[in-house]
Amino acid sequence: MAELVKLAENNAKANDRDAPHQGARGGRLALPVLLAVGFLTLIGLSLASIWLHERAQQDAERTIAAHALEAKLVSLLLNLRRAESSQRGYLLSGDPQFLLTHRLAIDDVQPALAEIEAALANNPVQREAFASVKPQVIEKLDELRETTRRYDTGDTAGAIALFKTEAGRQYMENITAIVERMQEEGERQLALTSAQFQQATRIVLAAELSGAALIVAVALMSFLLSRRSMRALQTAHQELRDNNAALESTIAERTRYLLDANNEIQSFASIVSHDLRSPLVNIMGFTSELETFRKNMFERLAALRAQAPGPDADNDDAALGGEFDEAVEYIKGSIAKMDRLINAILVISREGRRNLRTEPVDMTALVRGVADGCMHRTLEIGAEITVEPLPDMTIDRLAIEQVFSNLLDNAVKFMRTDVPGRIYVKGRETPFSVVYEVRDNGRGIDPKDAERVFDLFRRSGMRDRQGEGIGLAHVRALVRRLGGSIRLASEPGQGCTFTVTLPKRWIDPGTDWNRQ
Amino acid sequence: MNAVTIILVEDDDGHARLVEKNLRRAGISNPITRCADGERAVQCLFGGACAGHLLVLLDLNLPDMSGIDILQRLKTDPKLGRTPVVVLTTTDDKIEVQRCYDLGCNVYITKPVDYEHFSNAIQQLGLFLAVVQIPETA
Repeated sequence: MAELVKLAENNAKANDRDAPHQGARGGRLALPVLLAVGFLTLIGLSLASIWLHERAQQDAERTIAAHALEAKLVSLLLNLRRAESSQRGYLLSGDPQFLLTHRLAIDDVQPALAEIEAALANNPVQREAFASVKPQVIEKLDELRETTRRYDTGDTAGAIALFKTEAGRQYMENITAIVERMQEEGERQLALTSAQFQQATRIVLAAELSGAALIVAVALMSFLLSRRSMRALQTAHQELRDNNAALESTIAERTRYLLDANNEIQSFASIVSHDLRSPLVNIMGFTSELETFRKNMFERLAALRAQAPGPDADNDDAALGGEFDEAVEYIKGSIAKMDRLINAILVISREGRRNLRTEPVDMTALVRGVADGCMHRTLEIGAEITVEPLPDMTIDRLAIEQVFSNLLDNAVKFMRTDVPGRIYVKGRETPFSVVYEVRDNGRGIDPKDAERVFDLFRRSGMRDRQGEGIGLAHVRALVRRLGGSIRLASEPGQGCTFTVTLPKRWIDPGTDWNRQ
Repeated sequence: MNAVTIILVEDDDGHARLVEKNLRRAGISNPITRCADGERAVQCLFGGACAGHLLVLLDLNLPDMSGIDILQRLKTDPKLGRTPVVVLTTTDDKIEVQRCYDLGCNVYITKPVDYEHFSNAIQQLGLFLAVVQIPETA
């Protein structure tokens, strides 16, 4: 019991000190122990009750037997006395009525002896005492019979002489003394039994009282432990709820921050490209105006030359015109390129702002359609695009179409000339995502450029193909917008594999976050 | 025809000059009043500074206000509601174009970097100005 209390206290301390789960563990250990103690106590109490009941029954039987013995002993003495006194009456009066009473008393003595002997089978002390009574009784009976016989045969004097001897009286006194001793012994035994029974009752009562107290204590401790566990559990739940709430608000805050940052970048891209375009319009416009001036100037120059021709003047003018044109061409080329770059930024920033509309898309058909769109170029260079059956998705059709269009364009564009181009599109599903692979046997990309190719305006390898370094940047922007990621695995000269991983279930963070 | 005054709302001097040059080149001789920012355009249009028949060439990207606001105010004004408005801007964002038409703009012209296109657009605008009593949707 003391151990248990200590255990409970330790648990309580552990609970107060720190982790709620530790308290729960302590509770898990202490409760079964308490229950076991409670059950064992109950079993002990039941056994004690049964034992006491048995004992009571035995004692009751013993008491009844003792009283029966007492009665038989008294009856034996009574019969002997009756036999003696009725004989005296017979000897004095000769009345046969006395003789009859005498005979009946004597007849009762013999079976009483047997009965008493049987009753004393389990009582050695009394049996030994009775063993010394029995011969005396038989002697006494013999003496009584002899007296009666003498009287009946007419030897009245002989009968009276025998009657007068001390022997008969002596027998009787002996028998009475022994029977009295036996009665005392019986009473002593009864008292002993009774005392023992009372003691047993007291012990059992004490045991039952302490058992009951123990059960009450166990119940009380179980209750306390349960309450403590419950509180620990409630605290843990509350903490979990608080943590979740804090986590959610943190995530919501970060998401808002990221969305704000993203919107800022997009509006920045939009404003910048818009504002960059304005001066570009002027540069282009006035460059064209310059060309008009040039035309006018050279016309006027030609007219002047016609009036005052100089040596080799026409050739000088032509060279001047050529240099002018060259300069203007460079300016125009750069303007055109800058315009394309600004447009690319605009397209990507617009893509980020566009509201995506998810719908079920038959991906195999979609990618085959994209591949057919490249047909004229693949036929031209003898390349082949193989689209294996792809897992379908619920996704924004335009975005995913653009992704595959750019990836296939890219693959076709950078085929090698020494081997026939082969492009494979494969797909597979994982529990939470869908993975698409576009593999080619083209010229490949240097692994150190594996990240760089996705950056805007960055290109890898030889610059022998048209392009501004926009396609893959656009793809990455789209894939990110769709909640996925893109990876490139490649070896120069071995071709490359673009792996697009998209979530099966997509939530537009820009529109749906707060409702989640 | 000559009674129509062209109000050119354009903050960029270069653009304004190019527009003017091309209009003149296209044979448009109407008077042109230039407003270099939104405030001046509002004063001119709604303050009564500009009178008579008007045609507005409107840049959306003004330093002090959005051209969209001017367009909206113009088209809901009881007196000026029927004034033809040509939106001239660098943005070809579909949503913005749609919005301008929804607000009642008559023509939407993007200022392309390709000068040929720009020039053509302005010259076509000249033809458009020649038939200035156009239907509202143009």
